[in-house]
This record gives sequence, structure tokens and C-alpha cells, in this order.
Amino acid sequence: MPAAPASFLDPALLARISDLALLARTVVDGFMHGQHRSMRKGSSMDFAQHRSYQPGDDLRRIDWRVFGRTDRYYVKEYEADTNASVIFALDSSASMDFGSGALTKYDYGRFLIACLAWLSQHQGDRVGLATFVGDLVDVVPASTRHLQLLLHTLGRSRATGVGNLTTAIDKLTHLTARAGIAVLVTDCYESPEALGKAVASLRMRGHDVIVFHLIDSAERDFPFTAATTFEDSESGTRLPLRPDDLRVKYKALVEAHHAALTTKLIGAGADYIRVATDKPLDVALHAYLDRRLARSRVR
Amino acid sequence: MGLGLLVPAFLVGLSALLVPIVLHLRHRDKDRPQKFPSLMFLEQLPIRTAERRRITDWPLLLLRALALALLVLAFARPVFSRQAVAERANRVRAVVVMLDRSMSMGHKDVWQTAVDSARKVIMSLGPSDKVALVLFDDEADIVQPFTIEKSAALGALAKAKPSPRGTRYAAALRAARQLVLRAGNAKSEVVIVTDLQRSGVSGVAGLDLPEGLSVRTISVHSKSSANTAVASVDVRRLVEPTKTMLSVQARVLSRELPQSRIAHATLMINGRIAGVRDVTVPASGDVPVAFDPVLLPAGRVRGAVMIDNDALTADDTLHFAFTADDALRVLLVAPDDATADETLFFERALGVSRAPLMRIDRVRRGQLDTRILENASLVLLWDTPPPSGAAGNALTQFVQRGGGLVVAAGRRYPARVAASTLMPASVNGSTDRVTDRGGSLGDVRLDHPLYAAFRDAPAALSAARFLRYPRFEPAVGTEVIARFDDGLPATLERREGTGRIVLLGMPLDTRSGDFPLQSAYLPFLQKLVLYSSGRDVTTLWRATGQSWLLPGGLKDAAVSTPDGAIIRPAADTVGSTVALRESGVYSLYEGRVQGEPAGLLAVNAPTNESDLTPVDARELLLGVRQSAAAANASNDIPTPEEIEARQRMWRILLAAVAVLLLAETIFANRGWRGTASRLSIAPSERSPS
Repeated sequence: MPAAPASFLDPALLARISDLALLARTVVDGFMHGQHRSMRKGSSMDFAQHRSYQPGDDLRRIDWRVFGRTDRYYVKEYEADTNASVIFALDSSASMDFGSGALTKYDYGRFLIACLAWLSQHQGDRVGLATFVGDLVDVVPASTRHLQLLLHTLGRSRATGVGNLTTAIDKLTHLTARAGIAVLVTDCYESPEALGKAVASLRMRGHDVIVFHLIDSAERDFPFTAATTFEDSESGTRLPLRPDDLRVKYKALVEAHHAALTTKLIGAGADYIRVATDKPLDVALHAYLDRRLARSRVR
Repeated sequence: MGLGLLVPAFLVGLSALLVPIVLHLRHRDKDRPQKFPSLMFLEQLPIRTAERRRITDWPLLLLRALALALLVLAFARPVFSRQAVAERANRVRAVVVMLDRSMSMGHKDVWQTAVDSARKVIMSLGPSDKVALVLFDDEADIVQPFTIEKSAALGALAKAKPSPRGTRYAAALRAARQLVLRAGNAKSEVVIVTDLQRSGVSGVAGLDLPEGLSVRTISVHSKSSANTAVASVDVRRLVEPTKTMLSVQARVLSRELPQSRIAHATLMINGRIAGVRDVTVPASGDVPVAFDPVLLPAGRVRGAVMIDNDALTADDTLHFAFTADDALRVLLVAPDDATADETLFFERALGVSRAPLMRIDRVRRGQLDTRILENASLVLLWDTPPPSGAAGNALTQFVQRGGGLVVAAGRRYPARVAASTLMPASVNGSTDRVTDRGGSLGDVRLDHPLYAAFRDAPAALSAARFLRYPRFEPAVGTEVIARFDDGLPATLERREGTGRIVLLGMPLDTRSGDFPLQSAYLPFLQKLVLYSSGRDVTTLWRATGQSWLLPGGLKDAAVSTPDGAIIRPAADTVGSTVALRESGVYSLYEGRVQGEPAGLLAVNAPTNESDLTPVDARELLLGVRQSAAAANASNDIPTPEEIEARQRMWRILLAAVAVLLLAETIFANRGWRGTASRLSIAPSERSPS
């Protein structure tokens, strides 16, 4: 799969776009450029209609029988990948409001959800949004017409407060009775075991769960050198530290946390995708589409 | 180090150093903590309390502590000792360039070499170094006091030229000493650019220079000291029946010539060539040059003897001047009852004199008046006291204008003496030494010009016997030159105005002693007349550097110098004096400078200046002492600049504190903790909406 032009996906460039709809369209269009669009639509066997052949359509989808009768090219369209409910859950705790680069984790998460929602909308899915801290904050029910509302809600949301990921996931479980796809965007500051259990309960409801774990490079590498007092973004707790002495141990703890998350979430049947906020968005989009394609279901 | 504190109590403020340390430990980073998403992992790490409490920003803490310490030190007003200030000021040099401009510097290209050397020394100085220029010969002129303007010194150097004067290093070093003492605490150095003439060394021994003063000599003497000079001239009058001829004999001196040579000598009399002689000058030595006698001109005569110019031209001409009529007129005032043979020995003793001629005129005591005294050089009172009344006044004025008065006391004197202001002593009877075969001269000052001729033969004086002589009691201001063997004054002298009064207790006739029969009588009398009349100091020329005491009685005296300048010297209590700076003939006029001069004086460079033999530089400074006392001679009372220099430290400290605080600000906010700041992203600024 050829990669999209990086200029459309670079976080530093995206940070300058304030309109989430424009951002999402730009990213998705750029991302989808040159890909076989027909591969993304009409993979079911339920016939929907004929339409005139357009350059770029797959030649295998031409209805040769109609051509025989009319000497014109028509392709058959099917009811494919439609009506899946995709609910995007964005962690809005204060810990998400951190970034050592051009974007904070929260901004990156909003861009990611906007792009995914845009993509999903054009796949024919119903898209919904839920932001949460300790509880659900903003909820946009899943619908094929709620894309703009979703983008608007994303635009005005702020990352603040003390998060509680497991409680929020439990609330998310009860948000909709219809099984669909739950896309969880969070920084995963939670016990892997508790998070695994929460995701497992979501899976038990029939949801496909994709967890995007956003991580900033400073969180990962702990590059601080000066003796500094560190303050917890959510609780406000302060801790005077000499980072040079603690870096190795810290990184070991973080890697162990990531390994545990991978084990627990995959064990719970979820897709776990760790995304660094200094990486282009196409990494996350590819991962999402691959999961989406692999798990697509036709109604 | 020599550092003290004016207000040491302020050092208590050093306890404030605890403040930044405590602040550092307790409040560090409180103002700007580093936001972090979650301390979930960090709180799991083992962090000891002691480790958290330890000082982490050593550079920052040291900056703050140092700034505080310097501030306290500045308030304590550190003050440098004199030595410390001097050591600090040693970075700046104060160089005294002393350029020898004596006559010998005109030898070959020595002068140009000396000027080039002095210029090189000046140009080699740094921009903050000070330089002074002193030109010296037998005296020193500070032509450029200390300055940092090298161009000023170079300008003064360009105007310098050799003078016809001698060399005296002692005067130069004294001038350098005064300059150095005024130079403050700069590192002083004296550079003497000279030909190191040996004749100029006298007087250097014992000189006291400041301690640490560096004296360096730059020798510019020529490799060859060969020189020929006219060393002296002697003139004699040849009295013939109808005319008087003038015989001039010169002495040409040569030193270190490669070989003997023939010199062409010329005699100039009153501006005209009066004689020419070719003489063979030896390689080293002197040769007399006798010119043919010429007719003696009338009046005042000026002359010169010249030889061919050699490498040093200034000493190839010797000027001289004299008066054609040099007869010395002595007025002999004898008592009326004196017999002719009483003064016979005296008159004969003076009558045989030819150089100068001594003419005796007998006058009566009451005949003395201004007219008679006008052309007299000396008045001798034979066994009679000075007259009173008009004659006394005339005699007093005569002496005050420079005339001589000799009072020869005899057997009549104790009975006839009268009160007179001219008498240098009172008389208290007489002493009769007949019983002990007469007295003799006992204590005689042989260093006095009157008796100097007997320095090598004092027995000639003591051979004379005196049977009877007056008992003198010297008045205030009278100098006793000789005493009899019983301690009574025999010769007394007192100055009156510019003249001399000599009182003789020694009988000059044969009635009261045998002095006229002794060999010392004739030279003593001639010396007595010359000395008392002032004629003994009359020479054919004088050396540059000396002064000319003008004769009294001149109104509005004016002196024309050899280079044509007119000097009108102001008179003081001693008289009018003219400094003799140039070689040539000085002319004295009364009133307007025209016509026949009232006096001539020839001036030449000192003869020893023609000796170009150099001295070793170390030998030059051998007797020079260097003492701390001399260095501190002018520093006992510190100048305001010195006080300021000693206490200037507080300003530097305050400036250092300001710099440190500035560095601390930058270090604390940008350079040091900025690493953490750049990792913080303000959430509100990143919002897409």
C-alpha cells in the first residue's frame, strides 16, 4: 500500500488547521489518493443498483450481461459495509493536555477521531462520539448525520480533570444497546489489568474495540536533565526529581506498562494500537482501516 | 597582598550567604514546576529524601553566593596598601628619556644616532605608558613632563639640538628623580641616551634614587674618540718704548688621533685674521701654537683661535676677550708724617709687576673724592684709618661699586683709629713681641685665594717676624683669614657691596718686623692687590654653564649674547647676573646696545668636554644608591588620586556583583532551566479552535 503524501499528515502541519472538517477531509483525501476505492466499497453480495462505468472503477465489477443487451458499460453496486455504528471515545482528562512537540496528545486525539469519523462516514457507517474524564462529558449518538455535530463537539472540548478510564468505559458500555465499533483514544494511564477488564466487558457487549494509545515522546523517553519539580497534570501532586538518575528506571517502567497493556488488551479481544504523537496520522489511519476491513461485517 | 578593609564590620553580612542556600534547598523550582501527564510511574521509583534535599544547582548557588559575598565585601570598603597599589600600577610604565645634548654629542653622527635611539624608545611604549623627555648637559631641562601623548614627546625631541656645554650626569639623574617621584606608582624607568663621556661622571656618586627605579643607558658614542681642540690661550703684552705688542700663544690638544697631523691654526683679533700657523699635532698630546706678535688694539679686545674643523667642530674655536689697558691703579694713602722709605718696599713690590701693570699714586687722606677714585682699582690706607666726611662717603661708594680697600695697620694705627663703618674690626691697643723675638703667622687659611699661593710653601709665611701689631677685635660679618701665633687676628676680610675690604695686622714696613725682607712679601702683596681689587677673577674666558656677575654701578645694563639676543638682567641684592649658555663673546652695554661695550666676556665650552673617552655604563651608576626612603619621599602624603586608587576596589566589586546578578538571571531563566521549559506546551495555545 503506497503511503500518503506526508505533507497532509504531518502533525506539525495539521496543528495549523483549526477547522476539524477541513482537516479531516484533507487528511482522508490525501490518505486515500491513489488507493483502490472500489476495494473499500461493495464487498458484500447484496445488489443495490447499476450505475454507469466511471474511469477508475474495477473492470471486474462491469455487468457484462447488461453490456451485451445495451452495448453500454454498467457496474453493479452492492449494499456494502453500511450501517455499522462507530462510537469514538476520547479521553479528556488533564493528562491528555501534554505535548512536547507541535501537538498535545489531546489535539492529536481530536485530529485522529475527526479523520476516522470522516472516513467512517464515507464508508457509510454511523458515527458517534463520547468524551470522558471520570464520567462521560459529551456524548454524540451514533448516526449517519452526526458527523458535523461530532466535529463541532470535538472542536469545543477541552482536556481537564482527573480521569478514570475504567469507569468511563463502563459508562460507554451502557451508552448504546446496538453492537458496533468502539474506538477508544486515550493515554492509558490506568492499570493494565483494570483496563483489560473494562475492555473485556465492552467486548462482551458485542463491540469491536480498537484502543489508540497516544503517547508523547517526552513521556516515553523522559528527556529532562535539570533537577526539576514535576507536577501531576491531573492531581497536582509535585515531586522534586533529578531526571538523570531516574530515566533508565522510568523507561523500564513505561515499557513494562506498554507490554502489559498489549497483553491485557489483546487478551481481551481488542485491537491495541500505540501511536506516538510525533508520528504522522497515516500510521493510525492505516491501522484503523486494516482492522476495519478485517472485521467488516455486512448486514 | 596588602589588602585592608575600611569598614570590616560589614563582613557580618557574610552570614547572609545562608539565605541563598536555604532558599535553594527549600524553595527551588517552586515557581515553575514541570507539568507532567502523570506521576504514576515516577511515584513508583525509590527517591530518598536526602537526595531530594541536596543542592542540585551548584553553579546557580555559587553565582548567588558569590554575588552576595562580593556585595558585602564592597560595603566593607577594601583598600589596597601603598605597595599593592604600586604593584598593580606596575603594569603602566613611566619612562624618562634623558637625551644628552652636551657639546660632545656633536661628534660625527652621534647626535643623529642619539635622536633616533630616543625616538625608538618613545615609539616602543604602550598606549597607556607615560613618557617624559629631559635634555641635559651640565644642567637638565624637562622639555616634556610625563604624558601619554607620544607625539608631544616626539615633537619636543625634534626641536632638540646639541649645546656648547659640558656634561653632568648628576644633574640629569636628579631631574629624573624628581620626575619619577611625581610619576605616582607607575613602574618607572630612566633611559639615558648619551655618549657616556667620562668627564661628566663626577658628582654621580652618592646620588639617591628611588628604590626599584630602573636606569638604563643607551650608549651612542662613536667608536673613535679622536678629537683635536684648542685647549687654552695665553696673551701677553710686550711693552716697547713706543708701542705695546700683543703676543698670543694657544695650546692645541689632541686625543687618540690615528696619527699626527698638520693643523692650520688661525688667530682672529677683533674679527680680523691676525695670524696663521701650521702646527703638527701629535696623535695624543698637546702642542703650543705661538702666533707672531701683533699691535695691541686699544680698548676692549675680542679674539679667537681656530683650527681646522674635525669630527667635533664645537671645540675647534676658543674665544677670549680682555682689555688692552689692564693697568691696575693703586691709590696709596699714607699719613702725613710717613717717610718716603717707609713705603719703599711696598712701592717697589708693586712696581715690578707687569701682568698687570700696577701704577701707584700717592694721595693725601683728605684728597679722596669721587673724581680721584674713578679710575682707581684699589685704595691702600697705610697705617691710617678710613677718612670720615665726604672722603669717607666717596670711599664707601667706591668700595660698594666693586673697588678694593686695604688697610695696612702699623705702629701708629692704635693711636689714630677712628670709628668708621668701613672698618671690619675695632682696635684694642697693640701687642709688643720684641721680648720674644717677634711673633709670626700661626693659623693661616691656605684655601683662601689670598694665601692659596703659599699652599705648597707655608714656611715662607711663617718665616716673617712681627715685633709689634695691633690687637683687632673682629666685627660681626668679618672673616679672619690669618692669625698670629698668639691667636690675634692678622688678616681680616669683609665684603661691602661688591667690593672687598682687607685689614692687615701685619706691618708691611721694616720698622715693626722683617716681612718686607722675606721671600713671601712680594707675591703676597701682588696677590693682595689683585684679590682686593677683584682683578684676580679676571680671566680671558669662562666656561659655559657659569654665570657672569655684572660690575656694579651700571644703569640699565644690557648684555648681547653671542647669538645676538639682548638680555637685560634684573638686579638683586648681589647684583645682576647673566647665565652663560652659549659659546662666543658676551658684550655688556649700559643703556642702549650700541657703541663701545662696557665689558666683554668670552665663553667657551669646558675643556674637559673635548675629552670623548667613554666610561662604562656600570661604572657610571656605580655610586648611585637606591633606597625605599627616596621612593617614598613624595608619597608620605598620598594624593587624592592615590587615595582613590587604593579604594577603587569597591567599584569593581559592585560592577562584578551586577555582572553576576545578570548572569544569574540569564542562567536561572534561560540557560539552565530553559531545557525543561521548552518541553512545556501551553495547552491554550495549542487549541485548534
